[in-house]
Amino acid sequence: MLTAHLTGHEPGSLQRRRAAAWEEFGRHPMPTRKMEEWRYTDISGLDVEAYHPLLGGPAAENGGAPKKRAIPAAVQTVLDNGQARSAVMVQDGGQVIHTELDPQLKDMGVLFAPLLEVLETHPELIERYLFASSVAPAEAKLWALHSATVSDGYVLHVPAGVAIPDPVHVLRHLGTPEALVSTHSLIITESGASVTCVDEYVSPDLEPGSLSLNGTEIFGAENASVNFISLQRYGSGVKHFSMQHANTRRDARLSGFNVTLGGDLARADVTSHLQGEAGSSEMLALWFGDGSQHFDHHTLQHHEAAHAHSDLLYKGALTGGARSVFRGLIRVDPQAQLTDAYQTNRNLLLSDDAAATALPNLEIEANDVRCSHGATVGQVDDMQMFYLMSRGLSRKQAERLLVFGFFEEVLGRVPVEGVRERVRQVIEEKIGL
Amino acid sequence: MPDNDLAADLGLDEYKYDFVTEDKPVFKARKGLSEDIVRQISAHKEEPEWMLDFRLKALEIYYSKPMPEWGGDLSKLNLDEIYFYLRPQDQMERSWDDVPDSIKETFERLGIPEAERQVLAGVGAQYESEMVYHSLKEEWEEQGIIFESIEDGLKLYPELFREHFATVVPPRDNKFAALNSAVWSGGSFVYIPKGVDVDIPLQAYFRVNAEQMGQFERTLIICEEDSQAHYIEGCTAPVYTTESFHSGVIEIIVKQGARFRYTTIQNWSNNMYNLVTQRAIVNEDATMEWLDGNLGSKLTMKYPSCYLVGERAHGAILSIAYANSGQHQDTGGKVVHAAPHTTSQITSKSISRGHGRATYRGQCKVYEGAVGSKSNVECDALLLDETSRTDTYPYIEIDENQSSIGHEARVSKVGEEQLFYLMSRGLSEEEAMTMVVRGFIEPIAKELPLEYAIELNRLIELEMEGSVG
Repeated sequence: MLTAHLTGHEPGSLQRRRAAAWEEFGRHPMPTRKMEEWRYTDISGLDVEAYHPLLGGPAAENGGAPKKRAIPAAVQTVLDNGQARSAVMVQDGGQVIHTELDPQLKDMGVLFAPLLEVLETHPELIERYLFASSVAPAEAKLWALHSATVSDGYVLHVPAGVAIPDPVHVLRHLGTPEALVSTHSLIITESGASVTCVDEYVSPDLEPGSLSLNGTEIFGAENASVNFISLQRYGSGVKHFSMQHANTRRDARLSGFNVTLGGDLARADVTSHLQGEAGSSEMLALWFGDGSQHFDHHTLQHHEAAHAHSDLLYKGALTGGARSVFRGLIRVDPQAQLTDAYQTNRNLLLSDDAAATALPNLEIEANDVRCSHGATVGQVDDMQMFYLMSRGLSRKQAERLLVFGFFEEVLGRVPVEGVRERVRQVIEEKIGL
Repeated sequence: MPDNDLAADLGLDEYKYDFVTEDKPVFKARKGLSEDIVRQISAHKEEPEWMLDFRLKALEIYYSKPMPEWGGDLSKLNLDEIYFYLRPQDQMERSWDDVPDSIKETFERLGIPEAERQVLAGVGAQYESEMVYHSLKEEWEEQGIIFESIEDGLKLYPELFREHFATVVPPRDNKFAALNSAVWSGGSFVYIPKGVDVDIPLQAYFRVNAEQMGQFERTLIICEEDSQAHYIEGCTAPVYTTESFHSGVIEIIVKQGARFRYTTIQNWSNNMYNLVTQRAIVNEDATMEWLDGNLGSKLTMKYPSCYLVGERAHGAILSIAYANSGQHQDTGGKVVHAAPHTTSQITSKSISRGHGRATYRGQCKVYEGAVGSKSNVECDALLLDETSRTDTYPYIEIDENQSSIGHEARVSKVGEEQLFYLMSRGLSEEEAMTMVVRGFIEPIAKELPLEYAIELNRLIELEMEGSVG
């Protein structure tokens, strides 16, 4: 029984949250295809009890001193790539095994630590921000499961006016088959602060497969600036559910970039709550599916305040028998006049068996707005192929070039070079030559 | 901003056609729905046994299906308060002189297009639940064109009727299609023979007049190979305080190489629930065009659809919706690409005013094997004031990689600069606003026959009255 695992040597406040979340989980039915938000992704057969939750924190193992665990090789190679970083965290199987923060930043009051630790050291932050985002009913079941089973994660708190110069890099490794891993990311930026975070997910191919859950909450105070990048390159066998909520106040700027490359099934629910006037949110995503991968992206640009700006660009390519779903909604509340909101989804189908579904939605209740959306599904352009092949490239080479060109529109807007490189590399492996 | 109270005081927001002519029904079924009612309808229409069986089976399906939870708010729709069958006269009229004066007066006050009153070319004017007037030009009869009431279609052409009836929209399709299949009454039966080009549009006007009366019109249209025709249906109804309900089913079969256009301008009074299933099967090299205007009703849920089942079939849907206070226009279109090299185009324009809500809901499905299919969807929404609302919900499902699908939507308000320009030329703000709105719908209005375009513009003008405070 999953509930039996939901106790451990952890702060009482977390135990109480778990119990409440578990009750909440029991109250909601498992999403079925009859629910509009789950119409194209069937998880009704997902048996969460079949996975072993990786829980407990560092003290769980016999109650003694935490065992020092080695950094997995797949993570080490990324760490060794020479990229500048202001902070690093490594998680393995949901446990934090390594944390590092530039001492200068620490002196300036930056907090970057495992969630379990912050529960005890900064209860006021936890009380105010943990699980504080407003979650849509369709997301409630998995959000509750995530809250009930969260093993650890990180809290990043940037004080007012502090600009973190280099990326904060969090690497998550999952090496256990049949496991349920659930981690949380909490990014709090005070007024005028700025940061770039990279959350990366890696695993070998797992058989039997594992279940991965992540909840990310971003709070941008007045005039804060957050760049958030999620790079998911799991091996096969993993089902990954990512739930992201960004809450922006007045003049805050947020840029989110989601890359989905791995796993058998990946579902991302990405929400921008534009709560303050003149906030802005850039939402970018890229995915490349092959084999029988199924990727599902759900987005919400919720304009709750006037003068805010949001711009979404989600691009995906599919080959083999891969399938993708995009459902995006721009919701403009009556008071959110002078909203500027855009939403674009482009899909490239590279094989006969690939299939894409796009549902770009608008709900507009204010009249003085500029909103548009567009979605396309198509194949590589014949004329462009012809041009490249007439220059001596093989069909395969030409196609590869066009796929990279297709992604460049998104990738070019990502500020971290190391991320761009790793994405290109994985796509290259997937396309082959 | 509009001063709605003032507008109401001046009577500007009053429904123009707020009058009632006394109705004298010959037969009126009881309120509500039961197997008994269905048997009565069938018996009254002297239908063959198979049709009664069909109706009863459809009734069972209706009972077994839940109310749709998507789309508009149906919670206030009380089907127990509705008459499921009415019939004003027993005899079909053959000439204009025989049409009762009270009905003529209604047409007169509605400003029915001159074309309809004068030419009377294939006019089927429907008063209450039945065709009361039906006339065909002699030359059309010679060409073998059939344009009858749906009841006469069943009586006079039983085999042709049975072969095609309910093949496009089976009762199982949705709850309201099942309801219509059980209690249908009135509508048209149209048959265009092979190679025949009908140059004057076929027109049917019908209206609902008795309070709380359900209208379940059923239309079946068959276009043989290489034929060409245009069918126009328009409706308007006086205002009543209790809710009214209309649930039609339109089935169209467009055979190889044929070309068919179906035009509807719907201007039901603002207490009407209008839930219609309109669908066409489009075969090889054939073209189907839906021109769908929704101006009236409390709630309309209507998504004309084209099933492109033959190679190179083409489907076009032009949709315009105007949602004023108290109205929800949940409209759009659906195209299914099930054959290679099929093409489709959906153009939707909506205007929301006051507390009105306009929703575009559309679907584009491309099945595997439909290589070289192309579809393009464009939606424009215009919001006239702070309280109006618009939504866009397209479903794009693509299983074939050798296809090209695009969807675009834009939402805007009337441009300050456009208004300024027009007002600097001496127009009042209201005139300028009306002109901008007219310009916005122009791409659709120009596709209409002249008298309808004039009527549409007149209606828009009327609706825009009091829009500027």
